[in-house]
Amino acid sequence: MKQRKKYSLQKRRLSLGGKDISGWILVIPTILLFLFIVWRPIYIGMKYSFYSLKGFTPVEFVGLKNFKDVLTDTNFMQTLKNTLLYVFWSLIVGLPLPFICAVIVNELWVGRTIFKTLSYLPCVIPAMAVYLIWKMIYLEGDGGLLNMLLYYLGQEPAKWLANKNIVILLIIITMSWSGFGSTMIMYLASLQGINRELYEAARIDGAGFWGRIRYVLFPHMRGIVLLMAIRQIISVFQITEQPMTMTGGGPNGASMSLGLQMYNYAFKFGQTDRSLAVGVIMFVILIGLTVVYFKLDKKYSD
Amino acid sequence: MRIKSKKSQREYGLLNSSDLKTAKYKLLYGIMYAIMIIIALVCLVPVIWVALSGFKETKEMYAIPPTFFPKSIDLSKIPEIISKINFGKYIFNTFNLIIGCLAFDIFLNGIAGYVLSRVKPKGSVVLETLIFWSMMLPGISMVPLYMSFADVPILHVNLLGGYLPLWMMAGTNAFNIFLFRNFFNGISMSYIEAARLDGCSELSAFFRIILPLSKPIVAVVAIFSIIGSWGNFLWPYLVLDKGNRTISVLLYELTTGTTVLKNNELMLLLMLAAIPPIIVYIIFSRQINGGVDMSGIKG
Repeated sequence: MKQRKKYSLQKRRLSLGGKDISGWILVIPTILLFLFIVWRPIYIGMKYSFYSLKGFTPVEFVGLKNFKDVLTDTNFMQTLKNTLLYVFWSLIVGLPLPFICAVIVNELWVGRTIFKTLSYLPCVIPAMAVYLIWKMIYLEGDGGLLNMLLYYLGQEPAKWLANKNIVILLIIITMSWSGFGSTMIMYLASLQGINRELYEAARIDGAGFWGRIRYVLFPHMRGIVLLMAIRQIISVFQITEQPMTMTGGGPNGASMSLGLQMYNYAFKFGQTDRSLAVGVIMFVILIGLTVVYFKLDKKYSD
Repeated sequence: MRIKSKKSQREYGLLNSSDLKTAKYKLLYGIMYAIMIIIALVCLVPVIWVALSGFKETKEMYAIPPTFFPKSIDLSKIPEIISKINFGKYIFNTFNLIIGCLAFDIFLNGIAGYVLSRVKPKGSVVLETLIFWSMMLPGISMVPLYMSFADVPILHVNLLGGYLPLWMMAGTNAFNIFLFRNFFNGISMSYIEAARLDGCSELSAFFRIILPLSKPIVAVVAIFSIIGSWGNFLWPYLVLDKGNRTISVLLYELTTGTTVLKNNELMLLLMLAAIPPIIVYIIFSRQINGGVDMSGIKG
């Protein structure tokens, strides 16, 4: 009886039933929107990067000219280097921070909720307010919070964002401040999934605190940390708003990123074709990482 | 009794109660607390400092020696700044953005999640894969998307200036589609089968059966959507006309544009812009924590 039911179910799947038709009808708006907003722009972005554009209208096919223009621009290598520097600092500052906090908060008896709530607080402050709050903190002269601190430590006021050697690090600190809470909560959820008997077993085998971290906690968390790392690389590589609002790419191009360059080409300098070329270059650099991400995601989510 | 329950909770961590009897681990535990207290202060102090500085006089801002607390908190500065920059209009605009984004986000992404999870029409795997892949595809599309809004293919209308482009972007949130899908996977098919037998169409099954069962996930998506739209900057800045601009765009323009605002006035404004999402967060923090859990590993 059961077998027959299964058979008839299978048979029904072979032909397009009413369920299939109404299902597809329901997702028509979604498909149209995805076509319009996600898929088609990727296609025309690629296509028109080989065209010259006047304003936002393509004029004629020019082959690789836009790419040549962009790559031979004297600032391009500097901008690429800056972008990689953003990624580097975000891995140094932004990756371990939420992980360490999650491990610690998971240990605490008292105050767990308070620490969770306070760490998440910066995540809900509007991004623009975050950038401006930190711009004020880094303010040159005597008005900034950090220079206030320096004053009380008996030091001269520093230049902060106007210092080309640390400007990228300072922007990354801002970014990590506003984002680490949500990553931390994600890690916390994953930490709760560790079977505590494993800790006990490790204890009986004589593993101390670090041993338990190494043999129980790390193996469990490796997958999610790796996924978050790749996600972070991909998103920081596209950093645009932060340098745009905090420094405008300055001082002297020291915090200019590829994303901001793409924005400036299109909306500041009116060189739309170059902007498209920068977009395609970023796309090519990141697509490999995206593939790795999905491979790992498949591996670890099962 | 309470101590006992805490103890049993305690066993979940790296350290258990017998570890904590040794001096070495007691010290480690103290260090952990110290680290978290410092982190909590780093999270909180900048916000409090900005909130307090908004009430300082210009002279106080640059006083030597610098002060952390303002001399007096004059609340009449708030209505002053609100009327000076016409704050109410921007709040109204931001609500416009939020409500549209909320509707698009919940209905379109919700229905897509429902179809991918519970209807699964033939071939939907292809759609699912395409959506999944576009979730992280790098942002090549700033200019092409802007071009599409300026001249919509086939229809040839210009959508720039209004909120519709931003609403539509909210309707293509792959992350939320998968959030919905994962939640719906937990709803028993028998509810839907029963509805179908009763002659319910898929759409009415979604509205009458699925949505009422899905309050937790709808709440999570709604809260994220509201906080997200409130803080959304780059696309509103690119798309919206001057008369339609939102709070975030206003903040940016005040620092770059022609309206000159003193730093203390700007800080007061920053605080006003940050308070509504903070209130939403405080009211709904439990749902938010749960929501991040729900989105979990499967980002």
